[in-house]
Amino acid sequence: MIKYSFKSLFYIALIAFLPTFISAQPSVESGKALFTANCAQCHAKSMKKDATGPALAGVEERWADYPQEDLYNWIKNSQKMIFAVKHPRAIELWNQYNNVIMNAAEHLTDENIESILLYVDAQANAVPTTKDPSGDDAGAGGGGKVPSWLYWILFLALGVLSLILARVISSLNQIAAKKEGIDYERKTLLQTLTGKGVVSFVLFAAVLFGGYTTVNNAVNLGRQEGYAPEQPIKFSHKTHAGIQQIDCQYCHDGARRSKHSVIPAANTCMNCHSAINVGSEYGTGEITKIFASVGWDPSNNKYIEGYEDLSRDEIKDIYTKWIGDNYKKENDISADDKLTDAGVEEVDRQWNHLVESLTNDQKSKIYGPIEWVRIHNLPDHVYFNHAQHVTIGEVECQQCHGAVEEMDLVAQHSPLSMGWCINCHRQTEVKFADNEYYESYAKYHEELASGSKKAVTVEDIGGLECQKCHY
Amino acid sequence: MSNNSIWVGNKELNKEEEFLHNAGQEFVTTDLMENSDAVIEQDGSRRDFLKFLGFSVGAATVAAGCDIPVKRAIPYVVKPDEIIPGVATYYASTYAEGGDYCPILVKCREGRPIKIEGNDLSPITKGGTSARAQASVLSLYDTHRYRKPMANGEEISWQELDKDVKAKLAASNNIRIVTNTILSPTAKEVLKDFQAKYPQTKVVTYDPVSASAILEANEMTFGDRVIPDYKFDKADVIVSFNADFLGTWISPVEYAKKYIKNRKVDKVGGSMSRHIQVESHMSMTGSNADNRVLVRPSEMGSAIAYLHGLIAGGGGGSQLNDKAKGALTAVAGELKAARGKSLVISASNNVYEQILINDINNVLGNYGGTIGFDQASLQRQGDEKDVDALVSEMSAGLVDTLIVYGANPGYDYCKSEAFLQASEKVKNKIAVSYSANESSDVCSIIAPSHHYLESWGDVEAKRGQMSLMQPTISPLFETRQAELTLLSWADAVSTTSDQPYLDYLKAKWQSSAFAAQSSFATFSTYWDSALRDGVIGGGSSAGASGFNVDINLAKSKVSKPSASELEVVFYEPVSIGNGQFSTNPWLMEMPDPVSRTSWGNYLAVPVTYDGNKKFKGLNGLEDGDYAVITVGGKEMKVPVVLQFGMAPGTVALALGYGRTAAGKCGTGVGVNVNDCLTVNDGLAQYYNTDVTLSGKTGKEDHFSCVQYHHTIGVKAKNNDGEIINADEATLGQTAYGVGITGYQGSLTERSVLFHSTLKDLDKNLDDLHKKRGVQKYEDRHGSYTHLNEQTLYPFDEYSAEKYSQGHHWGMHVDLSSCIGCNACTVACMAENNVPVVGKKEVSRHHEMTWLRIDRYYYGDVENPNTVYQPMMCQHCDNAPCENVCPVNATNHSSEGLNQMAYNRCVGTRYCANNCPYKVRRFNWLDYTTADIFPANQPKVFSNGGEDNIPFGADNLTRMVLNPDVTVRSRGVIEKCSFCVQRIQEGKLTAKIEGRRLNDKDVRTACQTACPTDAITFGDRNNKKGDLSKKLKSPLNYIALEEVNVQSSVTYKMKVNNKDESINA
Repeated sequence: MIKYSFKSLFYIALIAFLPTFISAQPSVESGKALFTANCAQCHAKSMKKDATGPALAGVEERWADYPQEDLYNWIKNSQKMIFAVKHPRAIELWNQYNNVIMNAAEHLTDENIESILLYVDAQANAVPTTKDPSGDDAGAGGGGKVPSWLYWILFLALGVLSLILARVISSLNQIAAKKEGIDYERKTLLQTLTGKGVVSFVLFAAVLFGGYTTVNNAVNLGRQEGYAPEQPIKFSHKTHAGIQQIDCQYCHDGARRSKHSVIPAANTCMNCHSAINVGSEYGTGEITKIFASVGWDPSNNKYIEGYEDLSRDEIKDIYTKWIGDNYKKENDISADDKLTDAGVEEVDRQWNHLVESLTNDQKSKIYGPIEWVRIHNLPDHVYFNHAQHVTIGEVECQQCHGAVEEMDLVAQHSPLSMGWCINCHRQTEVKFADNEYYESYAKYHEELASGSKKAVTVEDIGGLECQKCHY
Repeated sequence: MSNNSIWVGNKELNKEEEFLHNAGQEFVTTDLMENSDAVIEQDGSRRDFLKFLGFSVGAATVAAGCDIPVKRAIPYVVKPDEIIPGVATYYASTYAEGGDYCPILVKCREGRPIKIEGNDLSPITKGGTSARAQASVLSLYDTHRYRKPMANGEEISWQELDKDVKAKLAASNNIRIVTNTILSPTAKEVLKDFQAKYPQTKVVTYDPVSASAILEANEMTFGDRVIPDYKFDKADVIVSFNADFLGTWISPVEYAKKYIKNRKVDKVGGSMSRHIQVESHMSMTGSNADNRVLVRPSEMGSAIAYLHGLIAGGGGGSQLNDKAKGALTAVAGELKAARGKSLVISASNNVYEQILINDINNVLGNYGGTIGFDQASLQRQGDEKDVDALVSEMSAGLVDTLIVYGANPGYDYCKSEAFLQASEKVKNKIAVSYSANESSDVCSIIAPSHHYLESWGDVEAKRGQMSLMQPTISPLFETRQAELTLLSWADAVSTTSDQPYLDYLKAKWQSSAFAAQSSFATFSTYWDSALRDGVIGGGSSAGASGFNVDINLAKSKVSKPSASELEVVFYEPVSIGNGQFSTNPWLMEMPDPVSRTSWGNYLAVPVTYDGNKKFKGLNGLEDGDYAVITVGGKEMKVPVVLQFGMAPGTVALALGYGRTAAGKCGTGVGVNVNDCLTVNDGLAQYYNTDVTLSGKTGKEDHFSCVQYHHTIGVKAKNNDGEIINADEATLGQTAYGVGITGYQGSLTERSVLFHSTLKDLDKNLDDLHKKRGVQKYEDRHGSYTHLNEQTLYPFDEYSAEKYSQGHHWGMHVDLSSCIGCNACTVACMAENNVPVVGKKEVSRHHEMTWLRIDRYYYGDVENPNTVYQPMMCQHCDNAPCENVCPVNATNHSSEGLNQMAYNRCVGTRYCANNCPYKVRRFNWLDYTTADIFPANQPKVFSNGGEDNIPFGADNLTRMVLNPDVTVRSRGVIEKCSFCVQRIQEGKLTAKIEGRRLNDKDVRTACQTACPTDAITFGDRNNKKGDLSKKLKSPLNYIALEEVNVQSSVTYKMKVNNKDESINA
């Protein structure tokens, strides 16, 4: 369970002890929050890698030649520093980063900025922690689940016990027989095991178990609870919906108005990713796939004209150059120098991975839609409408899809079985009061008013009927 | 009451054993037992066994492997703003095929058009649609379409094609473009540009079914070659000479909408128009008429002349039969009484007969009243004399280049053979065509054009009434808009633009329509508004003036009655026109409204009553017999259907069939009769008097007439307990009708249909109310004596508990408004993914339509009146189907819906057996998916060839499927769901907007498709809604109320305005 560095534990402790000072005093914790809200879109959280914006580790040293307020002003409004003040360091950065504008943040106070810088420092100096998956499992196992080896020991012990008991019975029988002078031959172990009773019990158990398994599996045929296929892009809902707090419906914009929640088109991705072109987790490895699918040239910040007609080699040139340039930046290789062998290998690996992800048997072109693997598959004879549930029922996405904002790889959370649907329709109360549509249910309104009915469930207004979902 | 004489056909009247047996059963016994060879594909069965073995082993392995099949979720790269996956978008556009016109809304899902709805904003159709408009979305995904430009059978690029064609055009001395009526003003500009570049070009326009005579007559009379604006809503007396104006003639949706306005009766003492149809065969319009006057086709001229003589004086038409003379005399009296408020029309293609019609209307003072010219119709502009001239030019070798522009003269021109022969002398033949047809097959260069749902365009169907066409999907194939193709050849269009034809169109609009208006300041706002609405009204042109006719000349040139014993009349079917729509499986399977036949043209032969129980077809023919008909020397073997209401000595055959190049669907279905037409004064006459008909020469294998399928109750027990054919009894043979306690009942005593004449409405309503035990008009459930009171679902208790709040869905069908056009049937197929099953399956009673239109006759057996009854699941609140289902696959919802859960259904078919309305359909075969076992696949197309996969099993056709409705598999029952997907969608919309549900939120597919507003769907608990209003009508009744199933569908009695004294 050692997931946090001691440093962060220390800070957490600090917060616990000094709750009243948090808001006023500059602190790493408030810095973290401010960083996430204002900076994390473009600056890597590790502070050691360039993303859209430069790695922030050592930022104060780099500005040490100038008064501190210059750095603060730069953070608040970089454009002003470049064009109005014409600050030499500002202009240098402007040119170095391809004239990408850093969003103004005039609302930040000096204390805020101090907090952010504290956080930057803390992150930069943090001891890298690695996850230990086995440790994780052990931890989970210790939590309350009984490990399976215990069952096996129990099973064996019981087996041995039954053998001993059988032996004892047999011995007792022998003694009894001897007493009465009857010649009694003791059964061997083999005879006991192959005896009628044992064999018929084993057969009975096998049939029972087989039947149970068959029925269970037949019922579950086609159900995919927990289904978590690899996707062509390692898109992380944790990063987007969790850390960045992007609303689900920003991308899945059909959910409120259509039966489909809609997998966002690549142009929706580009709303943000035309600015954020290097990922915090995989660098150029994954985001470049979006660029290649829509024909965006990240090196020059523009869409490539006639991209659909470019050959594979031409496309390769564009994106391997981008990946290579970024590799150089990350590894402190000057832009004019040649790539190292390791660099060439990395670029090749990323390119090949990109091609593999964006093409398949039916799609030979890199350009075109990203073919995601569909996770939630309802059978064709089921009609489901997102708008009904999201807009009218005001059901949270997570209720059916689970805590997607914590998933790096999305898995199907619910069984999507009819029983599961029906169950929810039985329990869910209709938001009767707020919607004029339901006024046609006069009798229910009366009953609600008189108190003879506490609430109207979906079932009450016909939510269990066949043709609500099957037509 | 007059109910005591309703029948569906002669099989019923003749008490045919097979029919009676089938009528008593839900499922017809197939020949599976008697003749297994015919049904089971024997040669495949051993292989099937091995396949099955392999499949089961494979399936077991896969299941055991428990690998989850990986499914992909593929988003857009750049999502268009207007598309939200899962939500439909609607675009206003216009359906225009030749002269067919309907402003529409196109429902698109994820960029795919899947359904056509009417555009309520149109002042012409007011939201109505036709079966053809409904089915047009399927043509977009037609597997028979051209996919690439071609030259001499080789696929080439557009650049190569353009270069080639331009060189050929430049070298041509004479260029001819042959086309059907063009409704687009901008397309006409295109042709002008083309002619400017190639002045040696002439454009030849004709119509698949000609209306040249009426155009010519109006030119002679008024100096204006148009079809006037007929205002059926303003006419008190309508007389139509063979004009099927509700089904096919000129502008049926518009006319039906107007016509029905005057035909809805809600109370005793109400008024309605009179409609008299003078015709030779029972047309859809004729079947809706109050009185029909039967004349033979060659007598039509005399009939018109006779009426003219009665109205304008001067005599004429003396050769007409006496019965018709008597009837027309009475009609003339009515017309004179309704001076200025009457309307006389004719579909005759004889100019002089049309001039007489003009004179009749003029004498009656109808011009300016019921007929106007300020919004004259442009829906027919053709002149087949021009095609005649073209044919002679071509035979003389004068034409170098022929461009067939969207037309098919090689099939639907009356001298198609001559046209095709003459075309051999043309050097360059170019087809600008959407799919292969008889004419494009002889062309060496194919310039494939867009479907209208992929095209830009404008339409002016009536003068000053514009509508726009916009693409709703990007082109599926390497096709190019036809107009753009012509412009490219004329070098009259920008080559750099993305959408050159759009630019061209906008430029034309900016200089014409935009310049002429004042409500919009900038063109872009004007254009956007026009495009959003789809229709732009307002403008009208000056009406025609002057009146100039030569009556004596006209009278001398009307057609003369023939002495021939037998005559044949050719008519345009409501479904496929003159073959223009025969590549469309929905329309091919749609039964003819009157004869109820599908997949082929059946020879309609008259039925005579022998005065003693028996009805006989001409020459002893019976339904499904093959007979040989010889028309003008051409021998054809045709299947026969007996038809009531035919003029004696007349048989009828539909146009549009027997095509030789109409893909898998249309090729070789029925016989082609376009070469049997006669020509008079250069104009095609849609009848022939040189006819002989043989007796029975054989029996058709697959008699695909749905008339006798799924009929409701025809047997009953009489007082002696003897089971009799009740309908025959009602014809006066047996004393019958008291003390009936029969379990099966009959149409006479069972409340399937109620009808009345306007005059007798008072008495008939009393009868109805007495029978129903209804005290007050608005009582839905009276003290009707139910045949049983058993129920598992006590209605009153349920009503109080469940249906009293929330929604309680219901439907109201006005039988007086239903004209039988079948738009609802096709709309239902489109909305609910109903499969097409093909001729063989139809003949086995396996058609899958959820909504059928039952046709019943009543009255005079030789010239009966007709009721159309749309019949769909009645969503009974005491449903007999529900309590017999062993797996609870069909059950009831708290909103009164009879629900069907396909995945629960195990196919016992108990429910269908127990349904008194016979509306449940069973998937006998795998109708929609390519099953791996051929024995399980229906053979939908008779000439499907090697890859004869079921309709809809290929990926292209599947694009038309409604993604909100499950595609059913083999072995399950399906039926009308009251469009539950629309109900759920409407409820959601109301909830999201936080308001009560209103009528507009939920409208079923059949309701929106209906051109006459016969169907109203809604929430019975919404007391202010349309449905509640309609449910108050005293004319309402519930079909089979006595079986106590508490159905949710209410019918309104059919009322006509028949004058019983007219006998013809």
